[in-house]
Amino acid sequence: MKPRKALMAILAGFLLAGLLAACGSGANNGGSGSVSAGGPSADAGGAQAGGQEENRSGGQQGEPVVNIYSARHYEVDDVLFQQFTDATGIKVNVVKGEAEELIERLKREGASTEADLFFTVDGGVLAYAKESGVLEPVTSPVIEENVPARYRDKDNHWIGVSTRARVIVYSKDRVDPSQLSAYEDLADPKWKGKVLARSSSSLYNVSLLASFIALKGEEAAEKWAKGVVANFARDPQGGDRDQAKAIVAGIGDVAIMNTYYIGLLAHSKDPEEVKVAERVGIIFPNQETDGTHINISGIGFVKHGKHKDNAVKLIEFLTGKEAQETLTNSNFEFPVNPAAERAEYIRAWGEFKEQELDFDLLHVHNAKAIEIFNKAGWK
Amino acid sequence: MAFARFVRLMRRELDGWRLAGLGWAAVLLLPFLFIFSAWFAEPNEQWLQIRAYLLRDYVAGTVRLTVLTGLLTVLLGVPLAWLVAAHDFPLRRFFRWALLLPLAIPPYIAAYTYSNMLSYTGVVQKTLRGLGVEVPQKWLAFGSVRGALFSFVLFLYPYVYLIARSFMERQCASWVENARLLGARPLTVFFRVALPMARPAVAGGVALVVYEVLGDYGVTSYFGVRTLTTGIFQTWFGMYDVESAMRLASWLMAAVVGLFFLERWLRRGRLYHVSGRPRPMASVRLRGPAAALAFAFCFLVFALGFLIPVLQLIAWASLAFGDVWKPQFWRWTLNTVAVAAVAAFAVTAISLVVANVCRRKTALNQLLARWVTAGYAMPGAVIAIGILAVFIELDRLLAPFYAAAGWGGRPLLLSTSVAMLVFGYVIRFTATGYNAVEAGYESIGSRFTESARLLGHGRTRTSFRVEMPLLRGSIAVGFLLTFVEICKELPLALLLRPFNFETLATQTYRYAKDEQIIQAALPSLLVIVVSLLSVAILHMAERRMQR
Amino acid sequence: MSFVEIRDLTFAYDRRQPPVIEGFSLSVEKGEILGVLGPSGSGKSTLLRLIAGLEVPAAGAIDIAGKRVVDDVTFVPPEKRGVGMVFQDYALFPHLTVEQNVGFGLHRLPRRERRERVREALELVRMAGLEKRYPHELSGGQQQRAALARALAPNPDVLLMDEPFSNLDADLRVSIRDELAAILRQTGMTCLFVTHDRDDVEAVCDRYIVMEAGKQGKQAGRTSSD
Repeated sequence: MKPRKALMAILAGFLLAGLLAACGSGANNGGSGSVSAGGPSADAGGAQAGGQEENRSGGQQGEPVVNIYSARHYEVDDVLFQQFTDATGIKVNVVKGEAEELIERLKREGASTEADLFFTVDGGVLAYAKESGVLEPVTSPVIEENVPARYRDKDNHWIGVSTRARVIVYSKDRVDPSQLSAYEDLADPKWKGKVLARSSSSLYNVSLLASFIALKGEEAAEKWAKGVVANFARDPQGGDRDQAKAIVAGIGDVAIMNTYYIGLLAHSKDPEEVKVAERVGIIFPNQETDGTHINISGIGFVKHGKHKDNAVKLIEFLTGKEAQETLTNSNFEFPVNPAAERAEYIRAWGEFKEQELDFDLLHVHNAKAIEIFNKAGWK
Repeated sequence: MAFARFVRLMRRELDGWRLAGLGWAAVLLLPFLFIFSAWFAEPNEQWLQIRAYLLRDYVAGTVRLTVLTGLLTVLLGVPLAWLVAAHDFPLRRFFRWALLLPLAIPPYIAAYTYSNMLSYTGVVQKTLRGLGVEVPQKWLAFGSVRGALFSFVLFLYPYVYLIARSFMERQCASWVENARLLGARPLTVFFRVALPMARPAVAGGVALVVYEVLGDYGVTSYFGVRTLTTGIFQTWFGMYDVESAMRLASWLMAAVVGLFFLERWLRRGRLYHVSGRPRPMASVRLRGPAAALAFAFCFLVFALGFLIPVLQLIAWASLAFGDVWKPQFWRWTLNTVAVAAVAAFAVTAISLVVANVCRRKTALNQLLARWVTAGYAMPGAVIAIGILAVFIELDRLLAPFYAAAGWGGRPLLLSTSVAMLVFGYVIRFTATGYNAVEAGYESIGSRFTESARLLGHGRTRTSFRVEMPLLRGSIAVGFLLTFVEICKELPLALLLRPFNFETLATQTYRYAKDEQIIQAALPSLLVIVVSLLSVAILHMAERRMQR
Repeated sequence: MSFVEIRDLTFAYDRRQPPVIEGFSLSVEKGEILGVLGPSGSGKSTLLRLIAGLEVPAAGAIDIAGKRVVDDVTFVPPEKRGVGMVFQDYALFPHLTVEQNVGFGLHRLPRRERRERVREALELVRMAGLEKRYPHELSGGQQQRAALARALAPNPDVLLMDEPFSNLDADLRVSIRDELAAILRQTGMTCLFVTHDRDDVEAVCDRYIVMEAGKQGKQAGRTSSD
């Protein structure tokens, strides 16, 4: 009796492991955007692998679905997907991960991929995805109307959804904004011991430097990086918001930040963070020269996607006026759709000159940018 | 004749159990072989860059963090152990086990909790500002190496504390009492008697701490401290370069192997044989200022290491309580529990087989036991890379089979499945289950097994009908301890989890990294609750031993 | 023909140390009760373990009931040797009842036969009625008898007993000794009986040998009961 029981237990264990294996590799569902279609999972182990399994390749059962691999982790995304589902009845399955992970995955899955769309925050990453051959062109009159060519891949392999600028923030108490107007100023010795920035491992910084390489060449970029490092008030640590907090705490006077973080700070549930936002000012650098660095969030159209029509609909939705306005109001990013109005808070910043840069270059110079950061000792 | 002997030897030795044990050992070899082979591959462009600019940083960072943490945990853990073992002061009995509790808080959770608590908008500075106190930022600068050290030392010292305390309580009595009778002053007794005797035990505890630090990713990446492990992650994900990541992993592996032998060597020479039965030491009662000091010290450590972070987390969690009802929260919990259960089950099964085989202390058996449990010393990142390499190769080899079976659409069955993660956990945590099971076998001795065999039952039957029922307690302890360790684990989970598969640990890390500390609090608390289970088990097991 | 034949047995625990048993030979007749005397460390328990198959000799051969169980090329595992053994501390399975303990070696028999055998064995050692007890609920003497019943139930070819009385007090010893002798004769069991007590040997055995560590041969003697 007993040995049989134990044997059964072992077999059950292996069975479970096997089922988990099967479910793990097939798990396409999950993420906060999916609406539960109800019903128990087909296999006993399936429930444990996370999520409902029955809609793996949705379309086969006739239920409209679109699968999106997303490297963005903002709550507003889930809200938008839900709105899309409410409006069209098409279920959105979100698979979240890191951008590199997701692209690796797309490459290895090849023709058997379940993904229809690839959503991420950096132009360089989108370019890399395109270069990896996992995307293909997408177009529709609606898309073309919603999104100016400037914010689309030149071959339409990806469509921009929002942008953000990487700006300089300064302490309102201690700094006179007329003293600096360009990224180059940060390397000026007069700011020694006063500059704050996050780590060079952040893609935002890497893309910033990549844009410098593209516009001014490697040497100038390297000189700039070295100059900034010499001016650091402390070793890079924390995220963008921490730099703002550090300014208010008096550790430094100026910092590099993304614009939407400022919006988030100003509208934070934590009153301390709101105070921080009130005490820093913003400068959009290089208005006289190349313009302020912007980066773009975009959706790539996956080559072997199985629900192309639904995917197009989702893109159209996300770039439509309503969704764009939701996006900017919740997350303080800049909409790409010219018909959409920016959030009130950021409208106060006014218009600014953006870098005129092909986003592909952000990827082209990515490796070099990392190398320069390492050389310059930007931690 | 020699051949016939060999045959006889084989027939005797190679039963199913032995084969299973050896088979598993061979399987274990694979990931490490793959990593080792990275040494011989051609370095690519990126590696040359890494070697030029980053390798020194990585190595220096790793060494500095490891050495400092090791030293500081000894400086903290041993005096605490001595205080609690040899003295009596108010609330000593409470502190005796309460000082273990920081172990229930994984260092990466402590890292983001304290970092946010002490940040400009955190509760500490906010309160101070409210009181009109202007605090120079330098004091509260909790970033980088300082923060990492704090997170490690304050939350890993219990390893040293526990082992030193057990040792001091049981083994030192006669020596210490003799020393006291001979008129030695308390400090002398500590430094010249207790400490030297406890050295092998302390060395064991520090080894555990060091392995944790080497393998850590959560704390070091959060504070931006560069170590070999963060380098591996960065190279793999940030630069899309698995080959260079493997090279880094091989460096780390070499370091760990070196440490492994160092640990054994350090422990070998100093085996003080303790004669007589272990008995508790008579405590010195502390009075007045000494007692107050002892109490204050213990309380401070307890507060910093457990009370304060937990209270802060509860405060944050209460703000996000609605999250509990989100289905995704339950999914993560389910994921965590399911994977941990399957892996712990596998670990227990393997431990039972290997420990049974190794009851006979031959040289080969001892090697087998050591090899099978060596994973505890190996950083999760290294294990992960090795496993990934193996599974990708496996998938490649099995591809025609997949096609034949009609699974053409899933050419990546193994390397994208939970099996990898489970395999990784098993490699890493076999030691935990094994120690418990081995102790169990030792306590039941060989007589029952021998009786059963003489009554006509083969090895397997004997195991199921006699040994396992008797080992129930040890099996349960081993399973639970392993289960808990897996729930807390971060680097392996981050690297090997299949797509869209989050555990409580990974989700906590994600939230913390995205500066969503309020959302991070709830999964963190759950992880801590699960870990408290392990502390409770340790405590109970120890009490049972004392009886 | 002897029932248990041991030829030139040599055994060492550790290759670096001198052998505990060297060039040892012995013959035991069927139904004979042989006492094995000697000081501690003389290898008496080791001899039993070698016969039982719990250790492997470096050299030599052992035959049981005409079958070669170990030599240079043969090794029959313990479960197949038909040897019964009573350990010094009885080693009754603590998680099983007396009944289950005694029936443990009878797993190959159909249930009805097994139950019958258990009943017989328990009657033989005068433990009928205590079937459902657990070992920790038995007295020392009862445990010993249960262990004996367990070893005898499968009807082994040879019974080995390793200092079976050392855990009992003097009075119990005497009474149990006589009982044991009676049982062994009644069943006609061939038995090797290890002890350090001369009186045990006198009371129970037909013949005895004395073992000394490292010495080649042994002294044999016949007991007075012969």
